[in-house]
Amino acid sequence: MRKRAIILNTVIGFGFFIVLLRLVDIMVLNHARLCERAKMQQLKGEEVQVRRGTIFDRHGRKLAVNLELESLFCDPSEITSAEKSAYVLSEITGKPSKAIFTKLNSRGHFVWLERKVAPDVARKIKETKIKGIGFVPDAKRFYPEGSLASHVLGFVDIDNKGIEGVELKYHDSLSTSGGKFVLNRDASGKTLSQGVNMESRGNNLVLTIDEGLQYMVETELDSVMEKWRAAAAAIIMMDPFTGDILALADRPSFNPNVIAGSRDFERRNRAITDCYEPGSTFKIVIGTAALEEKIVSLHSTFDCSRGSIEIGRRVVHDAHRHGVLTFEEVIQKSSNVGSIMVGMKLGKERIYRYAKALGFGEKTGIDLPGEVPGLIRPPERWSGVSIGSVPIGQEVAVTPLQVLRAYAAVANGGFLVTPHVVSRIVSPGGRTTWTFMSEKKRVLSQKTAETFKDILKTVTEDGGTAKGAAVNGNYVAGKTGTAQMIDPRTRRYSKEKYVSSFVGFVPADNPKMAMIVVIYEPKGQTYGGVVAAPAFRQIAEKALSYLDVPRKEGRKEMLVSAQ
Amino acid sequence: MVVNSRYHDRWLLLLTAGLILFGAIMIYSSTSVVTPVLAKKNVTPFFYFKRHVTTMLAGTFFMYAAFRARTETLKRTAVVLLAVSFVLLILVFLPKIGVSAGGARRWLRLWPSTFQPSELVKLAMVIFLAKYMSLPEYRTDCISCFLMPIGIMGVFQIVFLKQPDFGAAMSLGILTVAMLILSGMRLRYVMMLGALLVPLGVKLIMEPYRLRRVLAFLDPWKDPQGSGFQLVQSFIALGSGGIAGVGLGESKQKLAFLPESHTDFIFSLVGEELGLIGALVVVCLFFLLFLRGIAIANKTKDPFGYYLASGLSMMIALQALINFCVTTGLVPTKGLPLPFISYGGSSLLINMTAIGILLRLSKGDGPRTVADKTEGLIERKKAVMSVYGRRRALSGFGRTDGQGNS
Repeated sequence: MRKRAIILNTVIGFGFFIVLLRLVDIMVLNHARLCERAKMQQLKGEEVQVRRGTIFDRHGRKLAVNLELESLFCDPSEITSAEKSAYVLSEITGKPSKAIFTKLNSRGHFVWLERKVAPDVARKIKETKIKGIGFVPDAKRFYPEGSLASHVLGFVDIDNKGIEGVELKYHDSLSTSGGKFVLNRDASGKTLSQGVNMESRGNNLVLTIDEGLQYMVETELDSVMEKWRAAAAAIIMMDPFTGDILALADRPSFNPNVIAGSRDFERRNRAITDCYEPGSTFKIVIGTAALEEKIVSLHSTFDCSRGSIEIGRRVVHDAHRHGVLTFEEVIQKSSNVGSIMVGMKLGKERIYRYAKALGFGEKTGIDLPGEVPGLIRPPERWSGVSIGSVPIGQEVAVTPLQVLRAYAAVANGGFLVTPHVVSRIVSPGGRTTWTFMSEKKRVLSQKTAETFKDILKTVTEDGGTAKGAAVNGNYVAGKTGTAQMIDPRTRRYSKEKYVSSFVGFVPADNPKMAMIVVIYEPKGQTYGGVVAAPAFRQIAEKALSYLDVPRKEGRKEMLVSAQ
Repeated sequence: MVVNSRYHDRWLLLLTAGLILFGAIMIYSSTSVVTPVLAKKNVTPFFYFKRHVTTMLAGTFFMYAAFRARTETLKRTAVVLLAVSFVLLILVFLPKIGVSAGGARRWLRLWPSTFQPSELVKLAMVIFLAKYMSLPEYRTDCISCFLMPIGIMGVFQIVFLKQPDFGAAMSLGILTVAMLILSGMRLRYVMMLGALLVPLGVKLIMEPYRLRRVLAFLDPWKDPQGSGFQLVQSFIALGSGGIAGVGLGESKQKLAFLPESHTDFIFSLVGEELGLIGALVVVCLFFLLFLRGIAIANKTKDPFGYYLASGLSMMIALQALINFCVTTGLVPTKGLPLPFISYGGSSLLINMTAIGILLRLSKGDGPRTVADKTEGLIERKKAVMSVYGRRRALSGFGRTDGQGNS
């Protein structure tokens, strides 16, 4: 019988032990899952960001603001006559009464009836005094300039959560901290505490974007798209010394105020998320590498008189026959044959190393979401014909921003900058809490940068490929690019589809801006010098006067003679 | 009757006091947030807390009375007590006297409050069984000695099911069977009782919807808004507590998400606010309380005292254990309060009375005299020195055991 007592007590003790294990299971192993669940029911649908920070351009012009509205919700358990209420509400809002009826009849204690109701509609609804419905303050994000800089700004969802662009990247700074509009509710849906602090605001952002420059870029993009019936286009304008993005625009574009009407491809920020084969603009790699490694001088000559060069099974042609060219002329006239000869002198190891040094094959680090690194194959993965492709910008995948950054390095005397669109975060009280600190990395010597800059200046002069980019009164340094696109069907270079580009900076001797124009699939003409260079010039001329850059008379004469 | 010890068991008193005070804090935490629904009923933040404290004071009186009462008195009044508890239980069904709530009639109107006779039934049953098992004619190999208590239990259970109060029926059944097993009752009989459950099982299998309802507790997430609601809410409360808890008074689940957060499911609230650490402390306190009860039982020198002490310890420990199991989803949801901690006057009064009796048993009957002391010392010395000391000390009820094995 003592045995019985021991066994019985042991069984009970074991029961307690099982409880302990079970508690560990629920409270420790399932802690995170259940916490999530708890949050879901305790705060469901009631977290409303009321005062998101404003986004300004570099001169304090508002690019994204809030419209203070109210949102309508209902507590189905308090609705007395769903049918009648639904009818009345439908009369006021113009929404089908059936949909409202379904919501009024649903389970739970908190259902949004309509988000962000217009003020006059809200007033009418309040006058009906229907039981079981209520309003909470809400805000609608509004972009006063419409589609201007939409790819930089991005957009938000119905709960004012950043989905794209700066709105996404800087969501935590923009959203109201500590004063989130939270309604703690009990299970019966009654508001127990309103964590409302209407005074609480998110931080404001000051962008590097200049609304004026952005507008010039956008208008030019529109006319380019129309003129060349292009599939897409992108332009980026940057301060080459600081990495400040002054303007960035893509086509096709979208209006962030009516995000529901936009499509996926319109929202792509292709300037940083899409790769392309750059073609001749990539000759900056062999050009600077050859100078830096002292393989060539400006006057080294290359015999391009055959107009073509054989690399293994592949024959690469020049656009025109050139004869014997100096190194300077190889770049100026964008000779493929000459460039490949320079590339062969360098060897694949050094080409790869300089391509990497100039920032190709890795993200630039711009503060926008979705950037891609592109692709530069390491030398060991080069095929036999690669040495005939990489120097002239084939077999590599780059983004427009990467190309622009490499040219900015030449413009600023040899430094690789970090491109960025946000310059400052400002607290609601007006105190700057964060400033972008640019870090520069020297990738080219001062001498190489200066020499290559001089070569790039000749590109827009007589005998260069981009006379169309020449600007009245100032030297433009730049480079054209014309690349065949790969036809996804045949997996060969397409005969019709090209990417035409021009990248450069102005004024060449003291650059105020570096800019790249990339036009995808222009119809009729394909050469970068013909399609992209004039767009560069159009923008640059306006931008220089907007930035009050003085004209140098000497240059004007030259231009006149050129034309 | 001999004196077992000079003093009452101080650890038992301390553990009980600790649990009761802790319970009062948790009840305040659970009920001090007045939801608009409660506000309509003129409930103030201190409403439940004040009532609970009043019950605590009454309970202290009962505990002291039970402590002062001679064990002999209990033994004599065992049958009467059981009869009274039965009558009170029946009274629940009378209009005006009985109070129904939530579709069940479980309470008696007892101005200004109510009383739940099912709690008293448990105590009366334990005292009755202790007396019955210590009778000289109680034999563990006699079927009628088995059927008598089972029959009484059955009658009570039928009344419970009429109320309905499945929780009380279940816990009374477990308690009775546990005491019968403890007394050395032939396991054959107990198993026969188990055979009674077979038709029930067959019925469940024949009607799968019933089975599903019973087994709903195994996967409450299947129907978190319906049958699984309470358990899901309990899990959410426990789970969001984590190791350290969300902090005393910080529970979100008590905002009417978790039904019965101040009564049957107060343990989930403890878990949410004080975390795994707090929950483990509570579980351990109950286990220690149980161990103290066993120790007191082992020190008693007569069968009635032994069975009474064991039975009362099991009554409290099993109820706590079932409550833990319910809140953690180990057994189907049944409305059973957690002793000492849950809000609920009847449960607190009865359990405090039980502790009073246990304290009495730990001290022994009669006034302390020099002779008693000496006798006690001699008894204890004997017990230590003799290898069979314990057996001899318990010889009063070793009899049936011997016969059963012969």
